[in-house]
Amino acid sequence: MYYKFSGFTQKLTGSAPTAAYSPQGLRPAIPAESPTMIFATPTKMVSEAGATAEYMGANRVPDLQRLFQTSDGIPVHLKRGVPDRLLYRTTMALTVGGALYCLVALYIAAQPSNK
Amino acid sequence: MAHQAHAYHMVDPSPWPLTGAVAALLMTSGLAVWFHFHSTMLLLLGTILLLLTMFQWWRDIIREGTFQGHHTPPVQKSLRYGMILFITSEVLFFLGFFWAFYHSSLAPTPELGGFWPPTGITPLNPFEVPLLNTAVLLASGVTVTWAHHSIMERERKQAIQALTLTILLGFYFTLLQAMEYYEAPFTIADGVYGSTFFVATGFHGLHVIIGSTFLAICLLRQIRYHFTSEHHFGFEAAAWYWHFVDVVWLFLYISIYWWGS
Repeated sequence: MYYKFSGFTQKLTGSAPTAAYSPQGLRPAIPAESPTMIFATPTKMVSEAGATAEYMGANRVPDLQRLFQTSDGIPVHLKRGVPDRLLYRTTMALTVGGALYCLVALYIAAQPSNK
Repeated sequence: MAHQAHAYHMVDPSPWPLTGAVAALLMTSGLAVWFHFHSTMLLLLGTILLLLTMFQWWRDIIREGTFQGHHTPPVQKSLRYGMILFITSEVLFFLGFFWAFYHSSLAPTPELGGFWPPTGITPLNPFEVPLLNTAVLLASGVTVTWAHHSIMERERKQAIQALTLTILLGFYFTLLQAMEYYEAPFTIADGVYGSTFFVATGFHGLHVIIGSTFLAICLLRQIRYHFTSEHHFGFEAAAWYWHFVDVVWLFLYISIYWWGS
């Protein structure tokens, strides 16, 4: 990543490579003695810097890891709360209802036909 | 989480084996009821229950692996063995269809006219759409490898693009096969040629659709940052499966489309 001096924050910020190759020079507003360099953000490797890291949404994995690793004794299939319970109960209702309906259907199918 | 002194995954009690078993009961009984009483109610119920079970079971496996960290190196090793055994069983499944094909075609019975392709069958030209399909699947094998190396080298954007391209190639293959089936001058009812051709290529097509779905789930997980450069077995399993589908196509192309015509 390339850096330039930001006149607004008075700190170093990231910049495009082209900006880094054309020196800013001395401007009236900037004091002749350069201020102590303070990095606006912790320095990062090129691969994890800026726009690429945000490509197609932010990383929510750490939050989800925190959520799913809380020790509250809830089994993994219900750990996310209401949506999980809703889906689980729908599935269970279909399982019990379907099994009963199936037994009835098979019982009817087993009766001799009157033809 | 309770302290544990080993690296193995102690699973939570799960309802999905039960719901999956009932789904299987409903689907098989549903088929019988459909055949005998023309009612698809039970079959539909079974299908919905199966889809719900599949979604939630695999969702939980992602939670266990990616969010809870249960897929430790020894657990990953077991997952690898499991996937290898599964693909081996699939190889043997397809071997059966190739056996049927070669059994029928190497010594054609007098009823077929004593030669292959049998009397009255106009086979598809292997150097038209089937050759394009071969090129499409080989290209998708390249893009899936590109996606794998992108994941290993932390090239998030490239991994997403390569995976998308692989899935698009998979869909293109399915589209071409559907058109080829529509245009085919013979049907599954046209003797042993039709049955071996459509059962073998049909099951292959089904596997392409399953493989594309598997890769699409991987794309979704890649977009959501589930894969790291070191740990991405879900993707690797999908890539293995995709290569398997690719190799089966090469055998189908050489045997049924080319040699068989």
